[in-house]
Amino acid sequence: MSENKLNKEQLLLDLLKKKFILNESAVRRAKRVEVKVDPKEIIPVLLYAKENSRYISFAHMSCVDWIEDGEFEVVYILWNPEDKINLFVKTRISRDNGVLPNIDFIWRQANTYEREIREMFGIQFEGLVGRQEFILEDWEHMPPMRRDFDTAEFVKKTYFKRPGREDAKDVREFVQERTDEELPDFAKKYSRD
Amino acid sequence: MREKTTTLYLGPQHPGITGNMMVKLQVQGDTVVKAETHVGYLHRGFEKLMERRNWLQSFTIVCRICVPEPDPNEENYSRAVEEIEGREVPERAKYIRVMTLELARIATYLLWYGGQSGSAGLYTMGQWSVGDRNYILDLFEDLTGGRIYHMYIWPGGVRRDLPKGFKDKALRTMDYIEKRLDDYDKLLFENSIFQKRAKGVGIIDKKKAVEWGVVGPPLRGCGIKSDVRIDDPYEVYDKLDFEVPAMEGGDVWTRALIRRFEIRQSINLVRQALDKMPGGEYYNKIPNPHKWTIPAGDAFVKTESARGEFGYYMVSDGGNKPRRVHVKGPAYVHGVSLLENLLEGENIADVSFIMNSLGTCPPEIER
Repeated sequence: MSENKLNKEQLLLDLLKKKFILNESAVRRAKRVEVKVDPKEIIPVLLYAKENSRYISFAHMSCVDWIEDGEFEVVYILWNPEDKINLFVKTRISRDNGVLPNIDFIWRQANTYEREIREMFGIQFEGLVGRQEFILEDWEHMPPMRRDFDTAEFVKKTYFKRPGREDAKDVREFVQERTDEELPDFAKKYSRD
Repeated sequence: MREKTTTLYLGPQHPGITGNMMVKLQVQGDTVVKAETHVGYLHRGFEKLMERRNWLQSFTIVCRICVPEPDPNEENYSRAVEEIEGREVPERAKYIRVMTLELARIATYLLWYGGQSGSAGLYTMGQWSVGDRNYILDLFEDLTGGRIYHMYIWPGGVRRDLPKGFKDKALRTMDYIEKRLDDYDKLLFENSIFQKRAKGVGIIDKKKAVEWGVVGPPLRGCGIKSDVRIDDPYEVYDKLDFEVPAMEGGDVWTRALIRRFEIRQSINLVRQALDKMPGGEYYNKIPNPHKWTIPAGDAFVKTESARGEFGYYMVSDGGNKPRRVHVKGPAYVHGVSLLENLLEGENIADVSFIMNSLGTCPPEIER
């Protein structure tokens, strides 16, 4: 990609660098600018992007659990329909008692994303108004999208065989018994114990 | 005297609801005063499942996120993997992908015809259009082996080349569907019942549309020309010639007209893609899937699906499984914050009518 083609991206990056304290920033590729900021800078950066740089469209918001670092990374992705650039704003917070500012007064639909992230990762958003339950119902366990949530263990503890189905067998074993047909090796390891 | 407010639970099992979700309505007489979307009846935890499967195994489940139109999921997943890995896709595969996506768009609109007219009590329309949709599903069966779920657009290209005689069959099907559109116009758009039901109902304010995150036909129905295929072209859309219709109005009627015009554009795109498709490879082979690792990095890709912008945010930590895949379908915005807003002040009978016009699809909201 030639220098000229990345002009708009570089311009935005320079503007943000002048205005805010960025932990990291880069033009990753054409149409993609990425900045990393502290949680307290989130609202100022997003407001500036929306009101001064025409990043009017809120494209996405996501959360990644970096359990090795003991941190969650929350990503806000904005879209400028005129310059056709995606702006990624990333921030990291502690996994233990991370709190982020609520941004649904800037973009209304952010409310839905925040409710989901609160439910699935356990991140609290300061001032977030909205029903506590979104996708899960009566959930009392660890937020399920955390990396340390063991789905297999959860299923073993929570669910039980329906009465009368205790002898339920893998269909392949059943066929084997009925027909004396040898199960192929690759299928054996998937059979239940 | 204040009218009594009653709570009405619409769904999760209700013929008017587009899938398994519930809308809790507070009604006064026939008028909705407050609406709340409740989802969770279809949560299958795809994103969690993908964290425990390798890159190719994860690909096989993404199509199940959306039943009527699974192909944008496959395309998004593949393109995100290709972007992080830096894998090249052969030119022929890109044309085949565009053709598949446009066929899927036509099939989705034909299914939407049925839902939209059915929620107004006009059932004949749905029987015709869903019957015609089967001809597109026939094409998918020839091409991919599957009618609904295709698992066809995969990382590196597409799974199979076009079968013998496919081009002719596809072109004949396009001619047939194009001819049928006039019949649909007579049956639906010239029908005074549909006109009366659709005009002035479920109006989205143009000024607020972008800010609310409205995408796809509902946004274009507000007079805003926005389409990922033009704004941020992917595959070979920049090499094809097509128009994106946009009309002022913002109501159910305008959204219906937008879709009607888009079918013609999609038919045209399928013809162009078939015509301009170069020869050569259709697949840049991936390594042994069990040993296939993707370099650390992240990507956000988006596709214009029949219901609007479909986005995938994908993160790799350098391993043989995705670290995180986050799916954002158009219904994530349309079905929750926008729907709750639009329903206020509308008639109970128009609730499912409006839901259909927004393309609300609950499996996309909860995945």
